[in-house]
Amino acid sequence: MSTLAKTATANIDGRILEIEAGMTILEAARQNGIYIPTLCAHPDLNPFGGCRLCIVEVEGMRGFPTACTTPVAEGMIVKTNTAQVLTERREILNLILSEHPASCLVCDEREDCRDYMNTVRKAGVTTGCRNCPNDGQCELQEVVQYIGLEELKYPVYYRNLEVDKDDPFFDRDYNLCILCGRCVRMCREIRAADVLAFKQKGSRTLVGPAYGRSHVDAGCEFCGACLSVCPTGALSEKARKWRGKPTHEQVTTCAFCGIGCRIRLLIKDDEIIGSLPDNDPLINNGQLCVKGRFCIAEAVSSRHRALRPQRRWNGSAAEITWEQAIDLAAARLSACPPDRFNMIISANCSNEDLYISQKFVRIVMGSHNIDTGTRGFYGPVFNAYLSLLNNAATMDDLRKASLVLCFGLDTRFSRSVVGVELRKARGRGVKIVTINSRPHNLTILADIWLKPVPGREKGLIHALTDLMATGEKTPGISEYQAGSVGEGIAKTAELLSKSRSTVILVGPEFVWNKTGPDIVRVIAELAQYTGAAILALPAWNNLFGSVLMGAYPEVLPGGISPTDRIRMNQLKQAWGEGLADLIPHNESVKAASKRRSKIDVSYFIGEVPTKLMPSADFLIYQNMYVPDISIAADLMLPSAAFTETDGTFINGEGRIQRIVKAVESPGEALPDWEILCRIARKMGKNGFDFTGAAEINEEIGGVVKGFGDFNNPDRNAIPFTCGCELAAPQIAASGKNKTGRDFPFLLYSSINENVYRGYPLSRWVDGLKHLVPENVVQLCPADAEVMGLSQGDEIVVTSADFERVWPLRITCSQPPGTLHVILRGEDLVGLGPYPVRIRKYHVQDSR
Amino acid sequence: MNNFERVRKSALQKWRNLQSCKIPVIYLGTASCGRAAGVMQVLDAIEETLKEIRLKARIIQVGCIGPCYLEPLMDISLPGRPRISYANMTPTKARKILKSYLIDGDPQSHLAVGYFGNTHSEDLDGIPSFYDLPMMKPQVRVVLRNCGLIDPDDIDHYLANDGYAGIMHAFTIGPEAVITEIKEAALRGRGGAGFPTYKKWEICRSTPAKIRYLICNADEGDPGAFMNRSLIEGDPHAILEGMLIAAYAIGASHGYIYIRAEYPLAIVRLKNALARMRRYGFLGKNIQNSGFDFTITINEGAGAFVCGEETALISSIEGQRGMPRSRPPFPAVSGLHSMPTIINNVETLGTLPNILRNGAQWYKQFGTEGNRGTKTFSLVGKVRRTGLIEVPLGTTLRKIIMDIGGGPVKPFKAVQTGGPSGGCLSEEFLDTPVNYESLTAAGSIMGSGGLIVMDEDTCVVDVARYFLNFTQNESCGKCAPCRVGTRHMVEILDRITGGYGRPEDLTTLQSLGETIKRGSLCGLGQTAPNPVLTTLRYFRSEYLQHIAERYCPATVCKELIEYRVIPEKCTGCRGCVKVCPTGAITGPRAEPHNLDPSKCIKCRACYEICRYDAIAGDAIIIRSLRRSSDEYAS
Repeated sequence: MSTLAKTATANIDGRILEIEAGMTILEAARQNGIYIPTLCAHPDLNPFGGCRLCIVEVEGMRGFPTACTTPVAEGMIVKTNTAQVLTERREILNLILSEHPASCLVCDEREDCRDYMNTVRKAGVTTGCRNCPNDGQCELQEVVQYIGLEELKYPVYYRNLEVDKDDPFFDRDYNLCILCGRCVRMCREIRAADVLAFKQKGSRTLVGPAYGRSHVDAGCEFCGACLSVCPTGALSEKARKWRGKPTHEQVTTCAFCGIGCRIRLLIKDDEIIGSLPDNDPLINNGQLCVKGRFCIAEAVSSRHRALRPQRRWNGSAAEITWEQAIDLAAARLSACPPDRFNMIISANCSNEDLYISQKFVRIVMGSHNIDTGTRGFYGPVFNAYLSLLNNAATMDDLRKASLVLCFGLDTRFSRSVVGVELRKARGRGVKIVTINSRPHNLTILADIWLKPVPGREKGLIHALTDLMATGEKTPGISEYQAGSVGEGIAKTAELLSKSRSTVILVGPEFVWNKTGPDIVRVIAELAQYTGAAILALPAWNNLFGSVLMGAYPEVLPGGISPTDRIRMNQLKQAWGEGLADLIPHNESVKAASKRRSKIDVSYFIGEVPTKLMPSADFLIYQNMYVPDISIAADLMLPSAAFTETDGTFINGEGRIQRIVKAVESPGEALPDWEILCRIARKMGKNGFDFTGAAEINEEIGGVVKGFGDFNNPDRNAIPFTCGCELAAPQIAASGKNKTGRDFPFLLYSSINENVYRGYPLSRWVDGLKHLVPENVVQLCPADAEVMGLSQGDEIVVTSADFERVWPLRITCSQPPGTLHVILRGEDLVGLGPYPVRIRKYHVQDSR
Repeated sequence: MNNFERVRKSALQKWRNLQSCKIPVIYLGTASCGRAAGVMQVLDAIEETLKEIRLKARIIQVGCIGPCYLEPLMDISLPGRPRISYANMTPTKARKILKSYLIDGDPQSHLAVGYFGNTHSEDLDGIPSFYDLPMMKPQVRVVLRNCGLIDPDDIDHYLANDGYAGIMHAFTIGPEAVITEIKEAALRGRGGAGFPTYKKWEICRSTPAKIRYLICNADEGDPGAFMNRSLIEGDPHAILEGMLIAAYAIGASHGYIYIRAEYPLAIVRLKNALARMRRYGFLGKNIQNSGFDFTITINEGAGAFVCGEETALISSIEGQRGMPRSRPPFPAVSGLHSMPTIINNVETLGTLPNILRNGAQWYKQFGTEGNRGTKTFSLVGKVRRTGLIEVPLGTTLRKIIMDIGGGPVKPFKAVQTGGPSGGCLSEEFLDTPVNYESLTAAGSIMGSGGLIVMDEDTCVVDVARYFLNFTQNESCGKCAPCRVGTRHMVEILDRITGGYGRPEDLTTLQSLGETIKRGSLCGLGQTAPNPVLTTLRYFRSEYLQHIAERYCPATVCKELIEYRVIPEKCTGCRGCVKVCPTGAITGPRAEPHNLDPSKCIKCRACYEICRYDAIAGDAIIIRSLRRSSDEYAS
């Protein structure tokens, strides 16, 4: 449309209206409060003109044009409700309803039926027709009511299709589908995923993935965008199918990864029943991934939630009151010397929780022994990874980029809002290069797929930087790249040199690699050389915040190093007391490592102890979920989920994101900061008299730039400041990485990133298990044939250090000679790739 | 001498050499229609015979000349003798004719149907001129002028017959003048709707754009229509030259031919023609030094009828599902890849070279005011002479059906114009001149030019059901009126032809039909109810007979008919007993047979064998009994 903001004058139903040029009749009518019934039109989607309900009369135009597709022209005279239009609409609605089971729409008893739906009997019984999960939220019901249809003229053609329940997260009952095409257009126009299509023709027309594939096979990301626009009950969420209409909504931030999408929580009976994307143009722009769309309600409303404090008594858990719990904690903590205490907190916690935790450790316990589980998760790459957060690019930079380089990034189930942006960018002609040794969801999208030989990733990126710097190819360049010779590198270098603005996205693929730190370093070098901005997309929603809040021994709030005397004094003033007694952090770390086995009290907040962590005499476990028996928590304190507390996160871009309390916590669970404050007060310490997260935020504002305005946080990214290097923990590796005939395969492992507060989400969300299978080893068909293995076999994977039994999945996406397995954090076997040998598992092995 | 003159001169020489060839020339119509009639076996027989009689002859495979009922056609031209045409060839017949004519000089005039050229007929032993045949005489061949006469795979044949003179003329007068010329000629789109061609072009040309596209719509999907296929198979260069002219006029740089994959021969012919055009410099950069660049891509459709609709066709070329979208914006403003696009039908494009070559005034002599020019039709159904014909617009249906087609053997009942989107017109419309307006006024459409003639053995309710079933299956499913509405209509018609019609069905059909016409998104839905609405209008009594009396006068509707053996006529030959698949007919030899209606599946096998078996005669009849409504209610 022309850039001139022209208007047209049109007459709609006798009203003379000034209408923006290029608007359709429907848009103009809606803007001016004139209702025209529609089923296929949707404000976010292009006009379709399929349902034909929005027909109007336009003077001088033949027949009945549809309001949704006809642009307003100067001097147009539109009539939206003439007798003939109404008759035609009624006829067309009759036809639509003859394809849609309509007892809920025209049944004589429908009003009375609602009242008596629930009856009082010994067993719960419902009466009336419950054949549609969308009752009460159905747009068809609204339209029928508006048009005032009382009975159906034509027989109903029930398609008699089986309800498709094979895919996770949502069911598809195409018997209820009216073929408005919203889901298809959503998938194509907004998500650019093109999973859904119209199939067949004539009256057999249906919607679904082409060629009868399942959604999983068709590459569906399970973003649920199609569900959100479905006007009927054809697409419905498995989890809340029969929960009915939510009573209200609350906008907040998703806590499941470092992008920090804005979401709308759907609430009914003080329980989260679902979540939808919010239209935040800065970050997710109305999109979500499978975690944000489907996992929140299941994870926070899980029946495994911890409800009341418990203590271990003679080997079994016993519920106690909060007073007893606080007393017990205070008693044990008071008796604990500073160097024999440690706290592990999750980077999923809010800034307020993190801040209070470290303050608790430093002032109440007089120690520096606070750390996050994330450091262990990232392992040796931790420090290098954090450096990527420096001057992080924003999602907006990504939208404006002319070249995007993706390192080890798969956007199918995690970070899929980034995938949407990439696909849209591709549509605008932006060049995309992806670097990954395995086929992934960006391979078909990317202009260039650089496929490193497993184990030579660093060399490939280095060769690229070299080529940029010197214009000469590194000798032997082709050996870094599988498939084709070094052409891809040369082309990428050419694109890089031409690009006006380049964004580098770093995914998780290379992180758990022995050479991970080096890979991250060469990526940073490349970025520095080309002037590209890096967006690291961490898996932890508040990794950024965990550093800024000082939840590590080496760093204090605001990224201050404990050796920085001037800044330390500022902090002392803010806190008023306690810091003088601190052991200098270096010694504290040394002491901690020396007395690794001599920990008196270990305090876990939102984290789960693993074998790698030192064991303690007394374990305080503070989390949302009831701990496994194996954890043997001496004191269990139930904490609130991110939907049940106020606070802030800082996402990977460095933006402060607000979370809002949407519902009450189940049972007696409390926010983490409140539990800590109560213990601190019990121990007689000052500076913990907070009544709300806002007060904490205000105090943070005194020491960290950008904080303080709790309810209207500055939406601009804040800089990542870290006054010192956060050492990367060394994961013990035997160094016996034998290769050769004994260990012919290379095993790559990645850790399931879909973790919230120490537990994989798939533990509470069944569907996710289906999408991201853990502990299943992947192998390419050629290798499987040589080894005589078939799909579903259990195989024994042996390296110099370990031996594991995993089920096998044969997939073409695995490069030959390699294996891949997704592990849980606690199952981490060391750092890949490992030279291994494999064989089929026999029953005798178990002996 | 420029390139064009040079190639034209050599082509003319080649053509003249062929006319004065020293050895016999045998022309065979090997278009799809001829192949279906068995011309390839005839070709094999000819080659064998020539070897056998040790004579050399040139065999030229030409396209279809029109009369399908004469297929396969073989023409023989001996040196110094006119080209004589033989019809309904079989390998045996071909051998006989070749031997007698090539060796003995006896043209077997009783087997010949006509000759071509200006020779005196006395030389030919009474063989008439081919163009004097009753089917050919009333025709005016403008678009089809080369079909059946030239080798479609040889660009020189086309060039020798004034080929590419139209585009060369266009280059001399410039694009605006081309549009003016077409405006002057009053050419209307031959795809069916009859929108003035120049108007579309003007809109497209005046829309500012980086790139414009031209699409040739060769997605001829109507059952019983084959005009476009025959034209492409017989004279592909005519369409391609037309595309050059249209593209030059609108300023398009790239063209697509969207053709059904079910037309493999036409696709091969087009591919060959394109290759030759490239070699002769009629395609690519700077065509014939005119500064005009043009390329053509062939796009094979996957068999959806709706892809003949222009917006669906565009999305199909774009790689999307063939699904129409609302207009405006019209493709001339925003079409393929959102660029101005002109979509012209094969026949429209095939007409263009003729207009450019001969001038608008020449073209205007054909047809009537507002409906200028000629139109091709595929004349099929219950007529004596079926085939591809071309007549000036304004010719009456009677002339087409009765004179050209020779009329039906049994009394005439109806004619369906415009394929499944058209209407079924009764006898009273026979004197209607065929033009866009009069057919629309009668409730039908011109369509792309299918004419299906029906005699009294055709049940119009069944025909309406057939066409509606076709469109309902071919609906893309996008809009509710077309997808659901047509299904309801088919269901009602199924009920009526099945003998369970209800009195209120006719009003429901009427109102549904009107809703679908008014409410549908694209042309497919908007015209789908036409066969039902027109038959309701002109053959209402037949519907009423089906409903009220359970009576099908044409004895077509299976549920309403029964088969009977007439004992007086039956000779007991057991012919029907042998063919009956269910054993419904029994009886000893030489005694009248017995037909058990409960076992009869009405497959018609006994009826056919009885009709053609000389011994038995018409001993088996099909009849439909009138029943009162009470009778079948019980």
